[in-house]
This record gives sequence, C-alpha cells and structure tokens, in this order.
Amino acid sequence: MTLEATDVCYGYDDEAVLEEVSLSVNRGEVLAIIGPSGVGKSTLLRLLALFDSPDRGRVTYDRNEVWTAPERQRLEYRRKIGMVFQEPSLFDASVRRNVTYGLRVRQSWRDRLRHEVASLVGTQNGTGDAIDALETVGLREKATQDAASLSGGEAQRVAFARALAYDPDILLLDEPTSDLDPRNTAGIEDAVYRARNRGIGVAIATHDMHQAERIADRVAVLLGNDVIEVGDTERVFEDPADERTQKFIDGELIY
Amino acid sequence: MLLEPTLWPALVAEFPFEWHYVRSIIYVSLYVSLVAVTLSTLFSLPVALLVGFKEFPGKGLVTSLINTGMGFPSVVVGLVVLFGVSNQGPLGELNLVFTREAMIMSQFVLATPVVTGVSLAAVSSVEQNVRDAAFAMGGTRADVALVTIKEARYGIATAVLAGFGRAISEVGSVLIVGGNIVGPDGHSKTRTLTTAIQLEARQGQFETAMILGAVLVVLVLVVNAVVVRLGSGNGGRY
Repeated sequence: MTLEATDVCYGYDDEAVLEEVSLSVNRGEVLAIIGPSGVGKSTLLRLLALFDSPDRGRVTYDRNEVWTAPERQRLEYRRKIGMVFQEPSLFDASVRRNVTYGLRVRQSWRDRLRHEVASLVGTQNGTGDAIDALETVGLREKATQDAASLSGGEAQRVAFARALAYDPDILLLDEPTSDLDPRNTAGIEDAVYRARNRGIGVAIATHDMHQAERIADRVAVLLGNDVIEVGDTERVFEDPADERTQKFIDGELIY
Repeated sequence: MLLEPTLWPALVAEFPFEWHYVRSIIYVSLYVSLVAVTLSTLFSLPVALLVGFKEFPGKGLVTSLINTGMGFPSVVVGLVVLFGVSNQGPLGELNLVFTREAMIMSQFVLATPVVTGVSLAAVSSVEQNVRDAAFAMGGTRADVALVTIKEARYGIATAVLAGFGRAISEVGSVLIVGGNIVGPDGHSKTRTLTTAIQLEARQGQFETAMILGAVLVVLVLVVNAVVVRLGSGNGGRY
C-alpha cells in the first residue's frame, strides 16, 4: 500500500511552493521529510492528505489516481489516511469524544444517531477504541477529562491517538513535536514506532534533523521547492548524494 | 409582605384580566416568536456557514445586506409583509392577512438578519485547524459543518437569543400584519403581549400594562435561561 505524489506542482497566488515534487510513503515505514521552515513541507503533506489537488502532477493511492476518482471513492482514500498537525486542534469536548471522532464519522448517520441516543441514556459509552488508542500514547487515564484541561504535550498526544484510533494505512505528521518538551516528544516518537510496528506508514515533516535520524527509515530532503534527495536515513546523513543536503545537515543556511 | 400567603387571594382577585385571556396572549406571543426564530435559525445557520467559509462573487454584498438587515425598521417590514399577503400581493390567495402565519412571516424577516449576522461572526471565529482536523479524520463536508456548529455553539446560542429577543419584543410589524385581534370567546387570535401592552397603555391602564410587561420580561428570562443551558453543554455530542 503506497501513497504517492508524482511531479506535483502547487502554488499560492502566483508564488510556486512545490515544483515537480515526487515522493512516496509506504506502509510499515517511517519517512521523514526534512527541510527548513517555510519550504513547503506542510503544503506537501496537505497534498498527500488530499486536502487540495495539485496544480499539476498526480497523487495516487495504491496506484489509483485520486483526483480523477469519484468523490465517494476519494472519501474512501481519505479515510485510509490520518494526519496530525503542529497544533493539536482538539475539539471542545472530552478526550474520549475527540479520540472516537474518526470512528463515528465512518458510521452511517442512522448508527451515529443510535449510538448518540444510547450514549445519552447511558447504555453505551464506546470507550473501547478510544482506550486502545490512548494506551498507545500513554494517556489512558485521561479519557473522561475535558480536552481543554490538557497540557500542550498531552493535547498533542491525544491528537495522535485520535488519528490512530481509526487505524489508518498512512499517517502524516506535520511537525508534531515542534512545540513540545523532551518528555512529550519522546512520547510521540514512541507512538510513531508503535504505529510503524502495526504496519502503518508514517510520514513526518520536521526541521529537527536529530529527530529524523532517530526515528526515520527513509529521509526526503525538501529544499527550494523540490525534493532534492530521498534515501535510507543512514545513507542520507552519512553520505548525501546532493551537495545541498550536506550543507543543510551541516547547518549552513542555503534556503 | 406581598409574599405572605394570606395576601394571595386578594392579589388574584384584583388581577385585572381573565386568566384564559392572559394565557392565550402568552401562547400567541411564544408560538409566533418561537416558530419564527426556529425557522430563522434553520435558514440562518447554512447561510452563515456558506458565507463564512465559501468564496463566491458578491460575498461582500451579501454580508453588507445581512448587516443592514439587522437594523431594518420593523414597521417597514410589517408594511412589506402586509402588502405581500394582501389581496393585491403575491400571496393574496392564501388569505393570510391578520393571521398568526403572517406575524410569523414578519418576525422571520426581522429575526433572520440578526440570527444570521451573529451566527456568521460565531462560525467565522472557529479556527481553521479545528475544521482541518475534522476533514483530516475522514469527515465529509456535512461533518465539518457539524463540528463548526458545535464549536460555535455559544455564539449561536447568543444569535438565537438575539433573534428571539427581537421577535418577542416586536410591536410595530405584528400590529400591522396581525391586527391585534381577540376573538369573541375572549381568547387572543393575533394579540401578543407587546400589542396588548401597547393597547392597555394607550387606554391609560398603566397598571395592567405593567403587569403584562412583567409577564413578558419573565418569559424572556425563562427562554434565555433554557437556551443558555442548551448552549453551554460540554460539547460532548460530536
């Protein structure tokens, strides 16, 4: 199972952000997309998450063209992809309700209504899936708490659990630890390992090269509107094929 | 002193209305206002979501119209609705002159810009990243809209209250299109608390007008309390 962008171009107004970028994410691997801030990592992830269609180029899911597919089919593709943003973006509801959101939207309206009524009268609480996902990020005990009462790190871990709960094939992470302390960062990275071990393909955009080195199986370097290099993590960091990659790794500002 | 139970029979005896009359004008006031505001809310929320999040030609003009409508003179609305339902008007065949339905129409026209305008401000304040999260988790457009409404529920409750306040306190337009009619059985047909207060005050019955005014204030307080209670849930119903 592969999510793939091929020669995609995308821009805002007249400014090109991505030019003929090609990249794939496979199940059971962690791909780090590294590059300086503002280079287009988030834009690339949004294209892969099927938020927007590229101006040119193709996005395929399991070799099927996504944007020429009927809307219903595209929704099915979208529902195999999860995404976690830099901000936790939790709903104003309990942790459990946040984590089970993805499961609920996959139900028919009739089932949703039936579960809501059952939940209201207290005959069904639907905590099973939420608890499993929260266990993965070490926040099982927070299920009944109001999401607004969580710390920033906890909120981000709940956001991660929320994306894991519906068992996506591919998980896209947009700088998920950039605002977190080392402990919560370690919690997220541990959850990334667990997701990969469950067979989920993870793409993580980060400007933290140490993090990329720690957790990624492959690394893609995004510089100057294009992916200039993709390869195994060890090879890219120790023997980069592109001179600009070496300069970026060495901390020289080339963007 | 007034609260001493021994005085209650005297107070009731001095009450200047028949109870069935008061009950009927309370009923007409609530019925007309609640139906109008319910219809207005059902109309306004999709409009607010559309204007808030869709880009389309004339969006600025629509926003200006909504804002202008919030201050639209109610007597003019009454006149326009009266013309619409009169024999010469486009809805003349429906015989709606001096009916509750015509009053609902005029209150709908008055409340809708208020409910839409305040709802628009409320839904526009919902952060894009929350909407993105709902979409990213596989939500459809309807799911994202539902999340937006839930996140904006406090503001939407305020919008509904503002619309209800405008509707139930309305005098001019409901007087024009409703006619302030009481049936031969002493039950209100189209008389509301506000038009009854206006009538009593005009006749110099200030005491009775004040009592009806107090009833109106209590009604508004009760409705406000119910809406605030509904709007301040913990958001658990996503």
